[in-house]
Amino acid sequence: MIALCCTDIVAGYEPGLPIVRGASISVRQAEIFAILGPNGAGKSTLVKAIAGLVPILSGTVMLGHEDITAVPAHRMIGRGLAFVPQTENIFANLTVADNIDLAASIMKVDKRRRLPEIYDLFPDLARQKSLVAGRLSGGQRQMLACARALVTSPHVLMLDEPSAGLSPRLVGVVFDNLRQVRATGVTIVLVEQNVKAALALADRATVLVEGKDRITGPSGDLASDAEIAALYFGHASAGKAA
Amino acid sequence: MLQLIADGLIVGSVISLGAIGVTMTYSILRFANFAHGELLTWGAYLALTVLGFFVALGGAGPMQPIGPFSFGWPLLAALAAAAVMTALIALLVDWLLFERLRGNGTAIVLVIASFGAALAMRNLLQFIYGTLPDYYSREIQIAIRLVPREVMGGMRITPDQLFVLGLTAVTVVLLHLFLTYTTLGKAMRATAHNPALARLTGIDVRAVIRAAWIIGAVLAAIAGVFSGLTVQIRPGLGFDLLLPLFAAAILGGIGSVYGAVAGGLIVGLAESLSVPLFGAEYRAATAFLVLIAILLVRPTGLFGERN
Repeated sequence: MIALCCTDIVAGYEPGLPIVRGASISVRQAEIFAILGPNGAGKSTLVKAIAGLVPILSGTVMLGHEDITAVPAHRMIGRGLAFVPQTENIFANLTVADNIDLAASIMKVDKRRRLPEIYDLFPDLARQKSLVAGRLSGGQRQMLACARALVTSPHVLMLDEPSAGLSPRLVGVVFDNLRQVRATGVTIVLVEQNVKAALALADRATVLVEGKDRITGPSGDLASDAEIAALYFGHASAGKAA
Repeated sequence: MLQLIADGLIVGSVISLGAIGVTMTYSILRFANFAHGELLTWGAYLALTVLGFFVALGGAGPMQPIGPFSFGWPLLAALAAAAVMTALIALLVDWLLFERLRGNGTAIVLVIASFGAALAMRNLLQFIYGTLPDYYSREIQIAIRLVPREVMGGMRITPDQLFVLGLTAVTVVLLHLFLTYTTLGKAMRATAHNPALARLTGIDVRAVIRAAWIIGAVLAAIAGVFSGLTVQIRPGLGFDLLLPLFAAAILGGIGSVYGAVAGGLIVGLAESLSVPLFGAEYRAATAFLVLIAILLVRPTGLFGERN
């Protein structure tokens, strides 16, 4: 079953200056799907457009059977789509507990049932509930950002470069968390610059070039694809690409 | 000395209430609203109008003062009504002007528009009410001696001034509880910190903006009535307080509600304590010297966050 289907998306910040130029992706339920591509390919703009933060000039976004193309950003979480931006993805002026609690309160989630599940998934956060979120480390911030997005039990979780700025050890921790999240039935879409780690984590991936999907396929196939090596490294050494 | 401190706290409490609105508008709408002072004036005059209705309807009976105060229950009811009406004015100005500019205009466009709004609001008020000062009550109050003259010059304060100090403290505590414990309060803090993330969290930012206008305007109306109660009601009431309001908001750390309260009290105290040193004509300048001195040491203000 398809969880998220984007068809011929054209999107950009300014009218007449699209950054995403006809991208299409189709993500299956409970899979981890990576969006890869060189700098400036439009990866972040694509996920922001899907989340309602960047205007979609044409194309459609289907969440399951529902057309969410024109749904405003603040209603996306109610439809079952959560998004974790790359930077400034937590409320640094609120406590850890308030960050998680706020989304739950707004969406009228059964907090007695859901909050223990979230803290079981992120035990590090459970120990620091009363800490002001701005004092968390980089890895903890990513976990809090995921927890904040997951507390409303979304069907699809999108993350923009969750490994950015993290040490290799913390990237492993965050990605392990994402595997656990997927195990609960949540579909995950992530934009990543860290190609090797993303392909190791994802079931399938697409490579975006100049705002359009160039190659889509299982991660294992893409890891050994010569074109990806050429796109990222300027030569066809597939082994080095991974 | 004690008397100057008391006077400073009374002026400072009015400035604090007004500065909260300034800082709240800035943090959530991202612009300095120079029309905020006019909300104080409108609040003061609307309360006077409602009070006039009570007098017309009930005669002198209901106007009997409560205990030692110069005012009766009608003024408190007029204050509540004026707060609601001032909030409606703020929402109307936002709908007519700022909302239309927010989508396309930069912060400087909104700031200049707020100057225009301030002029329009002040002139409309003068057109309706005239330019002569007015009072809520003609009762003459005898100040109560709280501290004998032998102790640092002593301190006398009127019951109305005590009422202003007490209600300001209650208002600030209620606002703190609202921002700390309610979902809307947390949503406002979240939106002030990061509007895009707030939208992704499911927060309706437009509802938060409306809440910010309503709270800012209600506090402005309270400050306006307090200023009218302790000094006098006049068309320039809000305009004269505008610079101290901004000084307080900046000194406390623009965007910080608690900073606005502290900043307001510091500006009020600085103004009051400077009178015996430099004379009353330089009291506003002294407040700005304190502002500059604090910003030199702490550029983000007392409670401001470093970006």
